Amino acid sequence: MTTTVTTCPLARPTLRAVLRWETFKLRSQRRTAAVLLGAALLPIPVAVIIHGQARPPKDTLFGRFATDNGFALALLILGFASQWVLPLLTAVVAGDIFASEDQHGTWKTVLTRSASRGQLFWAKTLTAGGFATLVLGLLAVSAIGSSLLVVGHDPVTGLSGQIIASPSALRLVAESWASMLPATWAFTALAILLSVWSRNPAVGIAAPVVLGMVMQLVGALGGIEAIRPLLITTSYESWHGLLTQPSFIGPLVQGAAVSAVWTAISLGTAFVLLRRRDITGG
Amino acid sequence: MTSTSTDPRQLSARGPDLAVEAVGLCKAYGPVIAVDDMSVQVATGEVYGVLGPNGAGKTTFLRMLFGLVRPDAGTIRVFGRTWEDDDIGVLDGVAGFIESPRFYPYLTGRQHLDGLALLDGGHPPELVDEVLEVVEMGDRAHQRVGTYSYGMRQRLGVAASLLREPRLLVLDEPANGLDPGGIRDMRALVKRLAARGLTVLLSSHDMDEVEEICDNVTIMSRGTVDFHGTIARLRTMAPDPGYALATADDTRAQEIARVFPGLRVGPGHGTGLTVVGPRPEVTAYVARLVQAQVELLSFTPTRTPLEELFFMLTDVDADRAASA
Ligand SMILES: Nc1ncnc2c1ncn2[C@@H]1O[C@H](COP(=O)(O)OP(=O)(O)OP(=O)(O)O)[C@@H](O)[C@H]1O
Ligand SMILES: [Mg+2]
Repeated sequence: MTTTVTTCPLARPTLRAVLRWETFKLRSQRRTAAVLLGAALLPIPVAVIIHGQARPPKDTLFGRFATDNGFALALLILGFASQWVLPLLTAVVAGDIFASEDQHGTWKTVLTRSASRGQLFWAKTLTAGGFATLVLGLLAVSAIGSSLLVVGHDPVTGLSGQIIASPSALRLVAESWASMLPATWAFTALAILLSVWSRNPAVGIAAPVVLGMVMQLVGALGGIEAIRPLLITTSYESWHGLLTQPSFIGPLVQGAAVSAVWTAISLGTAFVLLRRRDITGG
Repeated sequence: MTSTSTDPRQLSARGPDLAVEAVGLCKAYGPVIAVDDMSVQVATGEVYGVLGPNGAGKTTFLRMLFGLVRPDAGTIRVFGRTWEDDDIGVLDGVAGFIESPRFYPYLTGRQHLDGLALLDGGHPPELVDEVLEVVEMGDRAHQRVGTYSYGMRQRLGVAASLLREPRLLVLDEPANGLDPGGIRDMRALVKRLAARGLTVLLSSHDMDEVEEICDNVTIMSRGTVDFHGTIARLRTMAPDPGYALATADDTRAQEIARVFPGLRVGPGHGTGLTVVGPRPEVTAYVARLVQAQVELLSFTPTRTPLEELFFMLTDVDADRAASA
């Protein structure tokens, strides 16, 4: 039996190395693959079912045309995804990535190596943010792809009644999906904060979804014009301006700014909480 | 102290070469004072024991060393570095685990070692095989930790620590939960590592363990230090040996004991009596009991003198009696 005892000093890990560790752990969990697969496949049956409906869902945006126009269907799915699907899919990772260390009692395992709390925080945050981006990308590609394949790609009628030719329609639909990104990151940051604060994966995953629904409810109330722009969920609707004639991007910019503020406050608070806390579990 | 040399050799040039130097450490969890004004010095190359009963504050002390919890007061230097000045740099050359080591059930033993190596800033790949061999679990390393027994997780914890090629190994009650064979292996490993110059700081609630493998010891209870010094000095302080005595007539046996002023005979734990005193007097007492035709049911040594000393120093019996 050999016993290794040398005294060479350890190198400090780079953020990249810590990131590799976090993404490796994420890839090793079955749930990760399940969520990604769900995001890639779910839009397909949705497109098929809506296409098969005799009466279009008229009361939703683009619902009137969704049964026989692919672009309209892709936007209908977008409206639906932004209600709770996106917050849920991102929170599955973001709400768990910190709290699962508490659940497994592994904070002490990773914090007794050479990576600082700050490095672990940013590696986990980047991993959760990357995952959210990937989920949104998969959903978008799958929703647009299956809608166009199942229903077709005729020109679509915009929100001001204007006819939008197919090539620009595709670009606008893709941009609409992309405009989900800031709010999705904000929900990711919120899930991270709740995950760090509660130390409980169930809270980290469920609470952002519930909060998202509450924001939608509040946003639907009358007489709160001052608060509405400050809600993350309002940013999820800012793509409407892309499909009017003339288009307006004010809400997009405002939504992105509001999301950035939510993201910054959530991450800042989570960072301070994690840096300060005593690790007594495990 | 203002000098924060990052090179421990500079430290040794100034005086004793200390691996760990804790001064006036205090930590409370709400109203519970876990560690109260604790000071400890661990020289490099020694095996140092922190001994204490449950709740003494051993784990809290080691958590402060690892930076997992922040002391309310006091400083802790590891190879001359402090958390305030060097942050995670304090742990350069330090490895170990707190309580039982914890892992991710969905990763294999080897995946853990490869992954933790990333958090260490990288290791030569052959080192993973080497440490797996040291803890004798190369054959199970490809299985998920979720399938491991307690003892295997403990050994993986040791492997993960050795992977850091530490100069200071910190083990929190490493024998906890191991079977007698596992305990023997763990102690043998610690001795082998110490023989190669590694400094070992371990906590324990077992006086035998500390006596067997440590050079120096701090005995603590309820957060405060009751004793620190060498095992040799501890031995000179050890009291008389104790015995558990069961007779057919304990009242009579206690009466007879009054003739022996050097003996302490009182009600034992549960049934029977405890007898504490110098060996010749104990022998004479037993002979007298036989003479008086008090029927002896059993007569067995209870604690070793060092164990007895430990209980005296930490006063756990008094605690137990008070809480009963
Ligand atoms: N997270 C916590 N919250 C509140 N009190 C705590 C916490 N952790 C420890 N304590 C208290 O601090 C004291 C010291 O605990 P600690 O775990 O350091 O003791 P120990 O010597 O390691 O005991 P054991 O031998 O049982 O492991 C105990 O009274 C314990 O109840
Ligand atoms: Mg303990």
